[in-house]
Amino acid sequence: MSLEKIGDPRDLTHWMGHMETDYSYTYGIAGEKFFKELKENAKIMGTRCKNCNLIYVPPRLFCERCFEKLDTWETVSKRGSVHTYTIANIDIDGSKLKKPIIWAMIKIDNVHGGFVHKLGEVDSKDVEIGMHVEAVFKSRKEREGSMLDIKYFRPAKQKLEKALR
Amino acid sequence: MFAKRRVAVVGAGLTLFRRNLKETGRELAFEASKMALDSAGLTRKDIDCVTLGTAPDAFDGIHMKGENLSDGAGAYRKPYTRVFVGGGTGVFAPNAGWWHVASGLFDTCLVVAEEKMSSCFPHPQYAFTTIFDPIMSRPIGMNLVWIFAIEMHRYMHVHGIKKEQIALVSVKNKGNAMDHPCAQLPAKITVEDVLNSETLVHPVQRLDISPTSDGAAALVLASEKVAKEITDDPVWIDGVGWGIDSTYWTNRDLYYPKYVECAARMAYKMAGIKNPPKEIDVAEPYDPFDYKELHHMEGLLLCKKGEAPKLTEEGVTQRDGDLPINPSGGLLGVGNPIAAAGLMKVCEIFWQLRGEAGKRQVPGDPRTGVAQAWGDLMQYGSVIVLRS
Repeated sequence: MSLEKIGDPRDLTHWMGHMETDYSYTYGIAGEKFFKELKENAKIMGTRCKNCNLIYVPPRLFCERCFEKLDTWETVSKRGSVHTYTIANIDIDGSKLKKPIIWAMIKIDNVHGGFVHKLGEVDSKDVEIGMHVEAVFKSRKEREGSMLDIKYFRPAKQKLEKALR
Repeated sequence: MFAKRRVAVVGAGLTLFRRNLKETGRELAFEASKMALDSAGLTRKDIDCVTLGTAPDAFDGIHMKGENLSDGAGAYRKPYTRVFVGGGTGVFAPNAGWWHVASGLFDTCLVVAEEKMSSCFPHPQYAFTTIFDPIMSRPIGMNLVWIFAIEMHRYMHVHGIKKEQIALVSVKNKGNAMDHPCAQLPAKITVEDVLNSETLVHPVQRLDISPTSDGAAALVLASEKVAKEITDDPVWIDGVGWGIDSTYWTNRDLYYPKYVECAARMAYKMAGIKNPPKEIDVAEPYDPFDYKELHHMEGLLLCKKGEAPKLTEEGVTQRDGDLPINPSGGLLGVGNPIAAAGLMKVCEIFWQLRGEAGKRQVPGDPRTGVAQAWGDLMQYGSVIVLRS
Protein backbone atom coordinates (compact mmCIF):
# COMPACT_ATOMS: atom_id res chain seq x y z
CA MET A 1 0.00 0.00 0.00
CA SER A 2 1.33 3.36 -0.90
CA LEU A 3 -0.33 6.65 -0.13
CA GLU A 4 2.01 8.48 -2.42
CA LYS A 5 0.56 9.90 -5.59
CA ILE A 6 3.61 9.23 -7.72
CA GLY A 7 3.60 10.89 -11.08
CA ASP A 8 6.14 11.00 -13.83
CA PRO A 9 7.89 14.40 -13.80
CA ARG A 10 7.99 14.20 -17.60
CA ASP A 11 4.21 14.69 -17.62
CA LEU A 12 4.94 18.37 -16.95
CA THR A 13 6.35 20.58 -19.70
CA HIS A 14 10.06 19.98 -19.28
CA TRP A 15 13.58 19.99 -20.69
CA MET A 16 15.76 16.90 -20.17
CA GLY A 17 19.32 17.69 -19.14
CA HIS A 18 22.22 15.92 -17.54
CA MET A 19 25.28 16.86 -15.51
CA GLU A 20 28.09 14.56 -16.46
CA THR A 21 31.26 14.83 -14.43
CA ASP A 22 33.76 12.10 -13.65
CA TYR A 23 36.18 12.23 -10.77
CA SER A 24 39.58 10.84 -9.91
CA TYR A 25 39.74 10.59 -6.13
CA THR A 26 43.12 10.21 -4.41
CA TYR A 27 43.23 7.66 -1.63
CA GLY A 28 45.01 10.16 0.59
CA ILE A 29 47.99 9.56 2.82
CA ALA A 30 46.28 7.20 5.27
CA GLY A 31 44.05 5.63 2.65
CA GLU A 32 46.97 4.72 0.41
CA LYS A 33 48.63 2.69 3.13
CA PHE A 34 45.33 1.10 4.20
CA PHE A 35 44.45 -0.04 0.69
CA LYS A 36 48.00 -1.19 -0.10
CA GLU A 37 47.92 -3.56 2.88
CA LEU A 38 44.39 -4.65 2.06
CA LYS A 39 45.40 -5.44 -1.52
CA GLU A 40 48.84 -6.97 -1.02
CA ASN A 41 48.46 -8.74 2.31
CA ALA A 42 44.73 -8.94 3.02
CA LYS A 43 45.40 -7.07 6.22
CA ILE A 44 43.20 -4.48 7.90
CA MET A 45 45.20 -1.58 9.30
CA GLY A 46 44.34 1.07 11.82
CA THR A 47 46.12 4.09 13.26
CA ARG A 48 46.59 4.52 16.98
CA CYS A 49 46.08 7.73 18.88
CA LYS A 50 48.22 7.48 21.98
CA ASN A 51 46.63 10.52 23.62
CA CYS A 52 43.08 9.27 23.30
CA ASN A 53 43.96 5.57 23.56
CA LEU A 54 42.00 4.70 20.43
CA ILE A 55 42.81 2.72 17.31
CA TYR A 56 40.94 4.22 14.39
CA VAL A 57 39.55 1.90 11.75
CA PRO A 58 39.45 2.92 8.96
CA PRO A 59 42.81 4.56 9.67
CA ARG A 60 43.18 8.31 9.67
CA LEU A 61 46.07 10.68 9.41
CA PHE A 62 44.88 12.68 12.41
CA CYS A 63 42.80 12.26 15.56
CA GLU A 64 39.52 14.18 15.39
CA ARG A 65 39.51 14.52 19.18
CA CYS A 66 42.99 15.73 20.23
CA PHE A 67 43.86 16.83 16.69
CA GLU A 68 47.32 15.28 16.72
CA LYS A 69 48.85 13.67 13.65
CA LEU A 70 48.76 9.87 13.83
CA ASP A 71 51.69 7.77 12.59
CA THR A 72 51.45 4.61 14.67
CA TRP A 73 50.07 1.88 12.43
CA GLU A 74 48.61 -1.35 13.75
CA THR A 75 47.39 -4.50 12.05
CA VAL A 76 43.96 -5.09 13.51
CA SER A 77 41.58 -8.03 13.62
CA LYS A 78 39.66 -9.18 10.56
CA ARG A 79 36.81 -9.93 12.87
CA GLY A 80 34.15 -7.87 14.47
CA SER A 81 30.58 -7.86 15.67
CA VAL A 82 27.37 -6.78 13.99
CA HIS A 83 26.41 -3.42 15.52
CA THR A 84 23.22 -3.29 13.48
CA TYR A 85 22.03 -4.51 10.10
CA THR A 86 19.30 -4.29 7.51
CA ILE A 87 17.92 -6.48 4.76
CA ALA A 88 17.35 -4.57 1.54
CA ASN A 89 14.50 -5.82 -0.63
CA ILE A 90 14.56 -2.94 -3.07
CA ASP A 91 17.14 -1.28 -5.25
CA ILE A 92 17.93 2.41 -5.35
CA ASP A 93 15.10 3.23 -7.76
CA GLY A 94 12.58 1.28 -5.69
CA SER A 95 12.63 -1.78 -7.93
CA LYS A 96 12.57 -5.20 -6.33
CA LEU A 97 15.95 -6.88 -5.83
CA LYS A 98 16.12 -10.46 -7.12
CA LYS A 99 17.92 -11.50 -3.97
CA PRO A 100 17.72 -9.42 -0.77
CA ILE A 101 21.05 -7.93 0.35
CA ILE A 102 22.10 -7.92 4.02
CA TRP A 103 23.98 -4.75 4.96
CA ALA A 104 25.63 -4.52 8.34
CA MET A 105 27.64 -2.09 10.36
CA ILE A 106 30.52 -4.12 11.71
CA LYS A 107 32.52 -2.88 14.67
CA ILE A 108 35.99 -4.44 14.37
CA ASP A 109 37.26 -6.18 17.52
CA ASN A 110 39.28 -4.09 19.98
CA VAL A 111 39.37 -0.91 17.91
CA HIS A 112 37.36 2.28 17.54
CA GLY A 113 35.30 1.91 14.38
CA GLY A 114 34.73 -0.56 11.63
CA PHE A 115 32.97 -0.86 8.31
CA VAL A 116 29.62 -0.98 6.68
CA HIS A 117 29.62 -3.99 4.39
CA LYS A 118 27.57 -6.88 3.09
CA LEU A 119 27.06 -10.10 5.02
CA GLY A 120 27.43 -13.38 3.15
CA GLU A 121 27.27 -17.14 3.76
CA VAL A 122 24.38 -16.56 6.15
CA ASP A 123 20.61 -16.65 5.86
CA SER A 124 18.96 -13.34 6.71
CA LYS A 125 16.84 -15.15 9.31
CA ASP A 126 19.97 -16.14 11.21
CA VAL A 127 21.58 -12.70 11.47
CA GLU A 128 21.60 -11.14 14.92
CA ILE A 129 22.90 -7.91 16.37
CA GLY A 130 26.05 -8.78 18.31
CA MET A 131 26.89 -11.69 16.02
CA HIS A 132 30.64 -12.29 15.54
CA VAL A 133 31.71 -12.04 11.90
CA GLU A 134 34.92 -12.14 9.86
CA ALA A 135 36.07 -10.56 6.63
CA VAL A 136 36.20 -12.74 3.53
CA PHE A 137 38.80 -11.48 1.05
CA LYS A 138 39.01 -11.86 -2.68
CA SER A 139 42.04 -13.77 -3.97
CA ARG A 140 45.32 -11.85 -4.30
CA LYS A 141 44.87 -11.72 -8.07
CA GLU A 142 41.42 -10.21 -7.81
CA ARG A 143 42.27 -7.60 -5.18
CA GLU A 144 42.74 -4.12 -6.57
CA GLY A 145 42.91 -1.83 -3.57
CA SER A 146 39.23 -1.22 -2.92
CA MET A 147 36.73 -1.80 -0.15
CA LEU A 148 35.41 -4.47 -2.48
CA ASP A 149 38.65 -6.46 -1.90
CA ILE A 150 36.63 -7.64 1.09
CA LYS A 151 33.89 -9.69 -0.57
CA TYR A 152 31.68 -9.63 2.52
CA PHE A 153 31.72 -10.54 6.19
CA ARG A 154 30.48 -13.97 7.25
CA PRO A 155 29.73 -15.58 10.61
CA ALA A 156 33.09 -16.13 12.35
CA LYS A 157 34.30 -19.70 12.44
CA GLN A 158 35.23 -20.26 16.06
CA LYS A 159 37.74 -23.06 15.52
CA LEU A 160 39.82 -21.10 13.08
CA GLU A 161 39.95 -18.05 15.27
CA LYS A 162 43.62 -18.27 16.17
CA ALA A 163 44.82 -19.23 12.73
CA LEU A 164 42.99 -16.35 11.08
CA ARG A 165 44.42 -13.78 13.42
CA MET B 1 28.77 35.38 25.34
CA PHE B 2 25.32 35.78 23.76
CA ALA B 3 24.32 38.73 21.67
CA LYS B 4 22.37 41.50 23.38
CA ARG B 5 20.00 42.15 20.51
CA ARG B 6 16.84 40.05 20.55
CA VAL B 7 15.59 38.78 17.22
CA ALA B 8 11.94 38.14 16.38
CA VAL B 9 10.14 36.16 13.72
CA VAL B 10 7.54 38.48 12.24
CA GLY B 11 6.28 36.62 9.18
CA ALA B 12 6.18 33.18 7.58
CA GLY B 13 5.36 31.69 4.19
CA LEU B 14 5.03 28.19 2.77
CA THR B 15 4.25 26.71 -0.64
CA LEU B 16 2.39 23.51 -1.32
CA PHE B 17 4.59 20.44 -0.84
CA ARG B 18 4.15 18.05 -3.76
CA ARG B 19 6.00 15.23 -5.52
CA ASN B 20 6.21 17.09 -8.84
CA LEU B 21 5.55 20.80 -8.98
CA LYS B 22 5.52 22.73 -12.24
CA GLU B 23 7.25 25.77 -10.68
CA THR B 24 11.03 26.08 -10.91
CA GLY B 25 13.02 26.28 -7.69
CA ARG B 26 13.31 30.05 -7.91
CA GLU B 27 9.56 30.36 -8.53
CA LEU B 28 8.92 28.28 -5.42
CA ALA B 29 11.35 30.44 -3.45
CA PHE B 30 9.53 33.53 -4.70
CA GLU B 31 6.12 32.24 -3.62
CA ALA B 32 7.25 31.44 -0.09
CA SER B 33 9.24 34.68 0.23
CA LYS B 34 6.38 36.85 -1.02
CA MET B 35 3.95 35.18 1.37
CA ALA B 36 6.30 35.68 4.33
CA LEU B 37 6.80 39.36 3.46
CA ASP B 38 3.06 39.90 2.99
CA SER B 39 2.30 38.27 6.34
CA ALA B 40 4.77 40.65 8.01
CA GLY B 41 3.35 43.64 6.16
CA LEU B 42 6.75 44.30 4.58
CA THR B 43 8.12 44.51 1.06
CA ARG B 44 11.47 43.47 -0.41
CA LYS B 45 12.67 47.06 0.11
CA ASP B 46 12.38 46.60 3.88
CA ILE B 47 14.74 43.61 3.85
CA ASP B 48 18.40 44.25 4.74
CA CYS B 49 19.81 40.81 3.92
CA VAL B 50 18.84 37.34 2.74
CA THR B 51 19.85 33.92 4.04
CA LEU B 52 19.04 30.94 1.82
CA GLY B 53 19.07 27.32 2.83
CA THR B 54 19.01 24.56 0.27
CA ALA B 55 20.38 21.02 0.32
CA PRO B 56 22.65 19.21 -2.18
CA ASP B 57 22.94 20.83 -5.60
CA ALA B 58 22.31 17.41 -7.07
CA PHE B 59 18.56 17.53 -6.30
CA ASP B 60 17.72 20.57 -8.38
CA GLY B 61 20.55 19.59 -10.73
CA ILE B 62 22.30 22.97 -10.71
CA HIS B 63 25.87 23.10 -9.47
CA MET B 64 25.42 26.62 -8.11
CA LYS B 65 22.01 26.40 -6.63
CA GLY B 66 22.45 29.31 -4.25
CA GLU B 67 23.18 31.70 -7.09
CA ASN B 68 20.37 30.27 -9.21
CA LEU B 69 17.76 30.73 -6.48
CA SER B 70 18.88 34.17 -5.33
CA ASP B 71 16.37 36.30 -7.25
CA GLY B 72 13.47 34.13 -6.12
CA ALA B 73 14.67 34.58 -2.54
CA GLY B 74 14.51 38.34 -2.93
CA ALA B 75 18.28 38.78 -2.84
CA TYR B 76 18.80 41.04 -5.89
CA ARG B 77 21.58 43.50 -4.93
CA LYS B 78 21.43 42.59 -1.26
CA PRO B 79 23.86 40.92 1.14
CA TYR B 80 23.15 37.26 0.44
CA THR B 81 24.42 33.98 1.85
CA ARG B 82 23.58 30.38 1.14
CA VAL B 83 24.00 27.96 4.02
CA PHE B 84 24.05 24.20 3.69
CA VAL B 85 24.30 21.49 6.34
CA GLY B 86 22.47 18.68 4.58
CA GLY B 87 19.10 17.80 6.08
CA GLY B 88 19.84 20.16 8.97
CA THR B 89 19.74 23.14 6.60
CA GLY B 90 16.10 24.06 7.15
CA VAL B 91 16.58 24.85 10.84
CA PHE B 92 20.16 26.05 10.41
CA ALA B 93 19.06 28.74 7.89
CA PRO B 94 17.03 30.68 10.52
CA ASN B 95 19.91 30.19 12.96
CA ALA B 96 22.17 31.89 10.43
CA GLY B 97 19.51 34.56 9.87
CA TRP B 98 19.43 35.08 13.63
CA TRP B 99 23.12 35.93 13.87
CA HIS B 100 22.83 38.35 10.94
CA VAL B 101 20.37 40.37 13.01
CA ALA B 102 21.58 39.59 16.57
CA SER B 103 25.06 40.78 15.63
CA GLY B 104 23.69 44.24 14.95
CA LEU B 105 24.78 44.12 11.34
CA PHE B 106 21.20 44.11 9.98
CA ASP B 107 17.70 44.94 11.23
CA THR B 108 15.78 42.57 8.98
CA CYS B 109 16.61 39.26 7.33
CA LEU B 110 14.58 37.17 4.92
CA VAL B 111 15.25 33.46 5.50
CA VAL B 112 14.31 31.20 2.59
CA ALA B 113 14.56 27.43 2.14
CA GLU B 114 13.90 25.60 -1.10
CA GLU B 115 14.15 22.12 -2.57
CA LYS B 116 13.03 20.73 -5.90
CA MET B 117 13.82 17.06 -5.68
CA SER B 118 11.72 16.01 -8.66
CA SER B 119 14.31 17.41 -11.09
CA CYS B 120 16.61 14.54 -10.16
CA PHE B 121 15.54 11.90 -12.63
CA PRO B 122 14.37 9.18 -12.43
CA HIS B 123 14.62 9.33 -8.61
CA PRO B 124 16.41 11.67 -6.16
CA GLN B 125 17.83 8.62 -4.38
CA TYR B 126 20.47 8.67 -7.12
CA ALA B 127 21.73 12.01 -5.78
CA PHE B 128 22.13 10.44 -2.35
CA THR B 129 24.56 7.81 -3.66
CA THR B 130 27.26 10.47 -3.97
CA ILE B 131 26.97 11.91 -0.44
CA PHE B 132 29.20 9.19 0.98
CA ASP B 133 32.97 9.00 1.13
CA PRO B 134 34.03 8.08 -2.41
CA ILE B 135 36.62 5.52 -1.38
CA MET B 136 35.51 3.99 1.91
CA SER B 137 31.74 3.88 1.43
CA ARG B 138 30.55 4.40 -2.12
CA PRO B 139 32.03 1.24 -3.64
CA ILE B 140 29.96 -0.76 -1.13
CA GLY B 141 26.80 0.66 -2.69
CA MET B 142 25.21 2.36 0.30
CA ASN B 143 22.06 4.36 -0.15
CA LEU B 144 20.11 6.57 2.15
CA VAL B 145 17.20 4.31 2.99
CA TRP B 146 19.61 1.52 3.94
CA ILE B 147 21.59 3.65 6.34
CA PHE B 148 18.37 4.72 8.06
CA ALA B 149 17.30 1.12 8.28
CA ILE B 150 20.42 0.11 10.14
CA GLU B 151 20.11 3.07 12.51
CA MET B 152 16.44 2.26 13.15
CA HIS B 153 17.32 -1.36 13.82
CA ARG B 154 20.01 -0.37 16.33
CA TYR B 155 17.59 1.98 18.13
CA MET B 156 14.92 -0.74 18.32
CA HIS B 157 17.44 -3.32 19.49
CA VAL B 158 18.96 -1.27 22.31
CA HIS B 159 15.64 -0.28 23.85
CA GLY B 160 13.56 -3.32 22.87
CA ILE B 161 11.17 -1.15 20.85
CA LYS B 162 8.45 -2.80 18.78
CA LYS B 163 7.53 -1.82 15.26
CA GLU B 164 3.92 -1.26 16.42
CA GLN B 165 5.12 1.51 18.72
CA ILE B 166 7.05 3.23 15.96
CA ALA B 167 4.16 2.95 13.50
CA LEU B 168 2.05 5.10 15.83
CA VAL B 169 4.20 8.08 14.83
CA SER B 170 3.34 7.65 11.16
CA VAL B 171 -0.36 7.30 12.05
CA LYS B 172 -0.27 10.45 14.19
CA ASN B 173 1.68 12.62 11.78
CA LYS B 174 -0.19 11.69 8.62
CA GLY B 175 -3.38 12.29 10.63
CA ASN B 176 -2.19 15.70 11.84
CA ALA B 177 -1.39 16.63 8.24
CA MET B 178 -5.10 16.28 7.37
CA ASP B 179 -5.41 19.81 8.80
CA HIS B 180 -2.44 21.26 6.90
CA PRO B 181 -3.34 23.07 3.67
CA CYS B 182 0.11 22.45 2.14
CA ALA B 183 0.34 18.75 2.98
CA GLN B 184 1.44 16.18 0.42
CA LEU B 185 0.53 12.98 2.25
CA PRO B 186 -2.29 13.62 4.72
CA ALA B 187 -4.08 10.38 5.53
CA LYS B 188 -6.11 8.59 8.10
CA ILE B 189 -4.26 5.32 8.50
CA THR B 190 -3.91 2.66 11.17
CA VAL B 191 -0.96 0.88 12.75
CA GLU B 192 -2.00 -2.18 10.72
CA ASP B 193 -1.72 -0.19 7.49
CA VAL B 194 1.88 0.67 8.38
CA LEU B 195 2.73 -2.88 9.42
CA ASN B 196 1.11 -4.30 6.28
CA SER B 197 2.86 -1.89 3.94
CA GLU B 198 5.68 -3.20 1.78
CA THR B 199 8.95 -3.92 3.57
CA LEU B 200 11.51 -1.94 1.62
CA VAL B 201 14.64 -2.33 3.66
CA HIS B 202 14.05 -4.20 6.89
CA PRO B 203 12.77 -2.85 9.30
CA VAL B 204 11.70 0.10 7.15
CA GLN B 205 8.32 -0.22 5.48
CA ARG B 206 6.67 2.01 2.91
CA LEU B 207 4.57 3.94 5.42
CA ASP B 208 7.53 4.56 7.75
CA ILE B 209 9.05 6.99 5.24
CA SER B 210 8.37 10.57 4.24
CA PRO B 211 8.08 11.25 0.51
CA THR B 212 10.38 13.14 -1.84
CA SER B 213 8.96 16.56 -2.49
CA ASP B 214 9.20 19.96 -4.11
CA GLY B 215 8.52 23.03 -2.00
CA ALA B 216 9.75 26.19 -0.31
CA ALA B 217 9.34 28.01 2.99
CA ALA B 218 10.35 31.45 4.26
CA LEU B 219 10.54 33.52 7.45
CA VAL B 220 11.04 37.22 8.06
CA LEU B 221 13.32 38.04 10.99
CA ALA B 222 13.54 41.47 12.60
CA SER B 223 15.46 43.18 15.36
CA GLU B 224 13.52 44.02 18.54
CA LYS B 225 13.18 47.65 17.54
CA VAL B 226 11.76 46.87 14.09
CA ALA B 227 9.62 43.99 15.35
CA LYS B 228 7.89 46.19 17.91
CA GLU B 229 7.14 48.76 15.22
CA ILE B 230 5.45 46.33 12.87
CA THR B 231 3.68 43.74 15.03
CA ASP B 232 1.99 43.24 18.38
CA ASP B 233 2.80 39.51 18.24
CA PRO B 234 6.51 39.02 17.71
CA VAL B 235 7.77 35.50 18.30
CA TRP B 236 11.28 35.63 19.74
CA ILE B 237 14.17 33.45 18.76
CA ASP B 238 15.48 32.76 22.26
CA GLY B 239 17.84 29.91 21.52
CA VAL B 240 19.82 28.57 18.58
CA GLY B 241 22.07 25.54 18.51
CA TRP B 242 23.95 23.40 16.04
CA GLY B 243 26.65 20.77 16.12
CA ILE B 244 28.20 17.78 14.45
CA ASP B 245 29.39 14.33 15.53
CA SER B 246 32.16 12.20 13.99
CA THR B 247 32.29 12.07 10.20
CA TYR B 248 32.90 8.34 10.56
CA TRP B 249 29.54 6.89 11.43
CA THR B 250 31.18 3.59 12.25
CA ASN B 251 32.64 5.49 15.23
CA ARG B 252 29.24 6.29 16.69
CA ASP B 253 26.60 4.21 18.47
CA LEU B 254 23.58 4.70 16.26
CA TYR B 255 21.02 4.17 19.02
CA TYR B 256 21.24 7.77 20.25
CA PRO B 257 21.52 11.07 18.35
CA LYS B 258 24.25 12.73 20.37
CA TYR B 259 24.47 15.44 17.70
CA VAL B 260 20.93 16.56 18.51
CA GLU B 261 21.70 16.66 22.21
CA CYS B 262 24.74 18.90 21.59
CA ALA B 263 22.67 21.31 19.51
CA ALA B 264 19.77 21.22 21.98
CA ARG B 265 21.99 21.93 24.99
CA MET B 266 23.43 24.95 23.19
CA ALA B 267 19.97 26.31 22.35
CA TYR B 268 18.47 25.55 25.78
CA LYS B 269 21.35 27.22 27.58
CA MET B 270 20.82 30.36 25.52
CA ALA B 271 17.08 30.25 26.16
CA GLY B 272 17.52 29.53 29.88
CA ILE B 273 15.64 26.23 29.60
CA LYS B 274 16.59 23.87 32.42
CA ASN B 275 13.80 21.31 32.26
CA PRO B 276 12.88 20.82 28.59
CA PRO B 277 9.80 18.55 29.01
CA LYS B 278 8.28 20.99 31.52
CA GLU B 279 9.24 24.23 29.81
CA ILE B 280 8.57 23.33 26.18
CA ASP B 281 4.92 23.43 25.14
CA VAL B 282 5.17 22.19 21.56
CA ALA B 283 7.93 20.58 19.50
CA GLU B 284 8.67 19.84 15.86
CA PRO B 285 11.51 17.29 15.81
CA TYR B 286 12.73 16.12 12.40
CA ASP B 287 10.76 13.08 11.24
CA PRO B 288 11.84 11.90 7.78
CA PHE B 289 11.19 8.42 9.15
CA ASP B 290 8.75 7.62 11.97
CA TYR B 291 11.45 6.28 14.34
CA LYS B 292 13.36 9.52 13.82
CA GLU B 293 10.69 11.51 15.68
CA LEU B 294 11.23 9.26 18.70
CA HIS B 295 15.02 9.26 18.33
CA HIS B 296 15.06 13.04 18.10
CA MET B 297 12.64 13.58 21.01
CA GLU B 298 15.22 11.75 23.10
CA GLY B 299 18.09 13.78 21.65
CA LEU B 300 16.13 16.98 22.37
CA LEU B 301 15.98 15.82 26.02
CA LEU B 302 12.18 15.91 25.90
CA CYS B 303 12.20 12.51 27.58
CA LYS B 304 14.64 9.87 28.78
CA LYS B 305 16.48 7.61 26.35
CA GLY B 306 14.11 4.91 25.13
CA GLU B 307 11.06 6.61 26.65
CA ALA B 308 9.67 8.30 23.53
CA PRO B 309 7.76 5.23 22.26
CA LYS B 310 5.97 4.92 25.61
CA LEU B 311 4.95 8.59 25.60
CA THR B 312 3.65 8.12 22.07
CA GLU B 313 1.59 5.09 23.11
CA GLU B 314 0.14 7.04 26.02
CA GLY B 315 -1.02 9.82 23.71
CA VAL B 316 1.27 12.42 25.30
CA THR B 317 2.56 13.48 21.86
CA GLN B 318 -0.88 13.96 20.28
CA ARG B 319 -1.88 17.49 19.37
CA ASP B 320 -4.05 17.65 22.52
CA GLY B 321 -1.56 15.71 24.66
CA ASP B 322 0.74 17.10 27.35
CA LEU B 323 3.65 17.45 24.92
CA PRO B 324 2.38 17.83 21.36
CA ILE B 325 4.96 16.60 18.86
CA ASN B 326 4.78 17.52 15.18
CA PRO B 327 1.29 19.06 15.23
CA SER B 328 1.98 20.18 11.63
CA GLY B 329 2.00 16.60 10.42
CA GLY B 330 5.76 16.66 10.07
CA LEU B 331 7.72 15.39 7.13
CA LEU B 332 5.71 12.17 7.16
CA GLY B 333 2.48 14.05 6.55
CA VAL B 334 3.30 17.45 5.07
CA GLY B 335 6.20 16.23 2.92
CA ASN B 336 9.96 16.40 2.79
CA PRO B 337 11.51 18.93 0.41
CA ILE B 338 14.68 18.70 2.53
CA ALA B 339 15.62 22.28 3.50
CA ALA B 340 12.07 23.58 3.05
CA ALA B 341 10.77 20.80 5.30
CA GLY B 342 13.05 21.90 8.15
CA LEU B 343 11.95 25.52 7.78
CA MET B 344 8.30 24.39 7.57
CA LYS B 345 8.79 23.16 11.14
CA VAL B 346 9.96 26.58 12.28
CA CYS B 347 6.99 28.16 10.45
CA GLU B 348 4.70 25.77 12.35
CA ILE B 349 6.14 26.73 15.75
CA PHE B 350 5.76 30.41 14.76
CA TRP B 351 2.08 29.89 13.86
CA GLN B 352 1.46 27.79 16.98
CA LEU B 353 2.93 30.43 19.29
CA ARG B 354 0.93 33.18 17.57
CA GLY B 355 -2.27 31.17 17.89
CA GLU B 356 -2.53 31.18 14.09
CA ALA B 357 -2.31 27.44 13.41
CA GLY B 358 -6.03 27.12 12.69
CA LYS B 359 -7.31 23.56 12.92
CA ARG B 360 -3.80 22.45 13.89
CA GLN B 361 -3.70 24.78 16.90
CA VAL B 362 -2.34 23.12 20.02
CA PRO B 363 -4.63 23.92 22.98
CA GLY B 364 -3.51 25.76 26.12
CA ASP B 365 -1.87 28.88 24.68
CA PRO B 366 1.61 27.45 23.97
CA ARG B 367 4.37 29.96 24.73
CA THR B 368 7.59 28.03 24.12
CA GLY B 369 8.33 25.81 21.14
CA VAL B 370 11.31 24.02 19.67
CA ALA B 371 12.06 22.90 16.12
CA GLN B 372 14.91 20.64 15.10
CA ALA B 373 16.42 19.26 11.94
CA TRP B 374 19.07 16.69 11.35
CA GLY B 375 21.41 16.14 8.50
CA ASP B 376 24.72 15.60 6.81
CA LEU B 377 25.72 11.95 7.18
CA MET B 378 23.32 11.34 10.08
CA GLN B 379 25.44 13.38 12.48
CA TYR B 380 24.40 17.03 12.23
CA GLY B 381 21.86 18.65 14.56
CA SER B 382 20.25 22.09 14.32
CA VAL B 383 17.81 23.41 16.92
CA ILE B 384 15.84 26.62 17.41
CA VAL B 385 13.81 27.71 20.45
CA LEU B 386 10.99 30.21 19.91
CA ARG B 387 8.95 32.04 22.56
CA SER B 388 5.93 34.27 22.32
